[in-house]
Amino acid sequence: MEAIKGLKSRVLLILSVMGPGIITAFADNDAGGIATYASAGAKYGYKMMFIMLVSTVCLAIAQEISARTGAVTGRGLSDLIREQYGVKWTFFAMAVLLVANLGTTASEFSGIATSFEILGISKYISVPIGAFIVWWLVLKTDYEKVEKVFLLLCITFFSYIISGFIVHPSWGEVFHQSLTPSFSGEPDFILMAVGVIGTTITPWGQFYVQASVVDKGITAKEFSITRWDVLIGSFFTGLIAFFIIVATAATLYKNHISIETAKDAAISLQPLAGNYASLLFAGGLLGASVLAAFILPLSSAYAVCEAFGFERGISKSYKEAPVFYGLYSALIFLGSTLVLWPDLSLYHVMLISQVVNGILLPPILIFMVLIASNGNLMGNFTNSKSYNLIAWLFTVILIVLTVFLLLSSLFPDSIQRLLGS
Amino acid sequence: MTSITVMGDFYLSQILGKPIFDIHGKTVGYVRDLVTLWNGHSPQVTGIKFNKESKLLIPSERIEKWDAKGMYLNCEFSPSITVLLQDHEIYISKWLLDKQIIDLKGSRLVRVNDITLSWVSRGSEKLILLVAVDIGFRGLMRRMGLEFLVRKIENRFLGWQYINPLEDRNSSLYLNREKKQLSQLHPADIADILEELDYHKRADLMGRLSSDQAVEALREMELDTQVELINQMDAHRASDILEEMPPDDAADILAELPEEKSRGLLGLMEADEAQDVKELMEYREDTAGSLMTTEFVELPVSITADEAILRLREFARTAETIYYLFVTDEHSILKGVLSLRELLLADPSTCLGDFMNAHVVSVHDYEHPATVAERINKYGLLALPVVDERQRMLGIITVDDVLEELMSERERSSLFSLFKVRRHSERRV
Repeated sequence: MEAIKGLKSRVLLILSVMGPGIITAFADNDAGGIATYASAGAKYGYKMMFIMLVSTVCLAIAQEISARTGAVTGRGLSDLIREQYGVKWTFFAMAVLLVANLGTTASEFSGIATSFEILGISKYISVPIGAFIVWWLVLKTDYEKVEKVFLLLCITFFSYIISGFIVHPSWGEVFHQSLTPSFSGEPDFILMAVGVIGTTITPWGQFYVQASVVDKGITAKEFSITRWDVLIGSFFTGLIAFFIIVATAATLYKNHISIETAKDAAISLQPLAGNYASLLFAGGLLGASVLAAFILPLSSAYAVCEAFGFERGISKSYKEAPVFYGLYSALIFLGSTLVLWPDLSLYHVMLISQVVNGILLPPILIFMVLIASNGNLMGNFTNSKSYNLIAWLFTVILIVLTVFLLLSSLFPDSIQRLLGS
Repeated sequence: MTSITVMGDFYLSQILGKPIFDIHGKTVGYVRDLVTLWNGHSPQVTGIKFNKESKLLIPSERIEKWDAKGMYLNCEFSPSITVLLQDHEIYISKWLLDKQIIDLKGSRLVRVNDITLSWVSRGSEKLILLVAVDIGFRGLMRRMGLEFLVRKIENRFLGWQYINPLEDRNSSLYLNREKKQLSQLHPADIADILEELDYHKRADLMGRLSSDQAVEALREMELDTQVELINQMDAHRASDILEEMPPDDAADILAELPEEKSRGLLGLMEADEAQDVKELMEYREDTAGSLMTTEFVELPVSITADEAILRLREFARTAETIYYLFVTDEHSILKGVLSLRELLLADPSTCLGDFMNAHVVSVHDYEHPATVAERINKYGLLALPVVDERQRMLGIITVDDVLEELMSERERSSLFSLFKVRRHSERRV
């Protein structure tokens, strides 16, 4: 009897701590994520798999660092940046975060537009209405309930896993290529690589997971459970990304279909859903996009207000927290207006925003690693040397890739010659 | 008392990082931080930290002047002029700048964007005093070198008397003045401040509150935060605080804690209190029993009005309400109810049974909260007695307890709420 009670309280404890990592992981596979992985698979087959898997490992590490910092200090990342590095650095970090998140918010609205276009509804109708609904729900109602509906829609993306099996890829080749590093100096390849990294590990995801750990009241004592939460979350991000690439590589890449619009990306679900593939794709994309369209502007506004000491949080009214709601509204307004630009390829907005995320990630990673290595703040939970080595190595690689990306778009020939491809 | 002349005001942000020159114009270091005496009087700058790696300070008497280029000393620099940090001295950049402090005037948590210092002379002495902290937007822009954009915005300063630094300090440095000021904050404000703090600082601040204040502040909080706080507190202090709380509130908190922890705390509490709380914990969430408190005024039917008033004095301290007095027989069976007014107006020698209202509206402990609300509303009551099958008095539910239960107000929602195991929130206002 005692043992059962002990088990029960253990289970309750686990349930009360689980969440932040898994949620971040789900929101991570947003519109931009789906678009990027699908493009990667369609364009390069399994060649991008290695980079995706390495980024997933790095995602687990990055998320673990942020979650650990949150649990040990009880404070958000922007709060810590402000206290440790002062106003100027904070302003820089917040500018980086806002630019990255504005791009991502635009990609979420592209996702909303795309899913409605599949159903035959123009973006000039779906985007303004979608933006208004998202904005209104947060301001006027209990958005927590609504949020869960969209989260359910995201589960649709598990259909990629089924699809990945149905298409019968040659698994030997999949695994062989997944474990073989491949690289090319082609600008497009580097662009895609930065995009894949940028969609797997995002600046906002780092802020979000830490804030969410803090908000849940998780302390250093419970962190061993949160570590599992984060690892499981990262595993799912990687798993879904893996199968999106498999499904698109085995259908689109094999038949030399390149993805021009999101409708093409839906083709890879045809083996599973037949004629309903587009519908299935639209539903999942809509869920992921709307969920992230809530979370992104909210968490960016939250981080900025936390750093500069403005009132914040959705339990405050507009009058109490004008800066918070102002930023929130501005992000939604700008993000959705960008998408309404005539002749804009929605699919490219989703892709490019992920590349922007990848380029802007290193500064945030540097702050994170520096803070997590600060013994005064982290005590016994300070980053270990080997851990730091990996984190720095990854940051440097990402910076080098970004530089390559810039150079390769400026001087495409010389870079290709340099890399001998 | 010699008069004080102000020779100039400046901001900490204007001087941090500037070079320090000795009398020969040689650079000896950079202004890394200033040290002030923090003893309850005007905080006076006593030294300058000039090297990141070293703990040595240049005493403030050595400063000749400063300008936009840097700080000039009035002597040649040598290690012999340096001093070390003394008791009651604090680093102001490290402890205040960019940190959260309690604004005792506005009763809230604010972030320090800049610090104003004043260069004054008192007789032949020249002093630098910390005058105020800047908590406004303009200070933020000044730090970024963009103050010229916001010249129209007023500075928002907070005098040093009204700040309560939160960074870890030696407890000897914690001033009586600050303790007193803290004790004057409204418990609801303390609750808001505590909810915003991280869990380390929360525990620090809780530790500085008196037991009464801690209980009052805790009662103002969301159940989630109450549970978190009690869970993180030292067990003895936690059990003391739970004892002081109304048993229904204590029961709510204990029911949310892990089984072992809650059993441990109950064990530390006084047996009587623990018993009350345990009984309340037995009730399911959607029953009248879960809403009630056991602290009510219960008077025997056989005593006189005069005796009743004497007894009331004893009850008055702990009872949730004293306006309704419940009359019971020797088996605690509810017989009637009196209002305080009726008791005071009654002839002192009459027996309670003779003038009480024998038709009491009550509710059974297993009934639904909606029934409670209905009855309270229908009969216009302030409190409703809760009885068991045999009409034995168990407790009362006050109108505010049931209001929270039913009002569909905007709950404290969270950005990070997904999958959150939502606790039943019961905010006492």
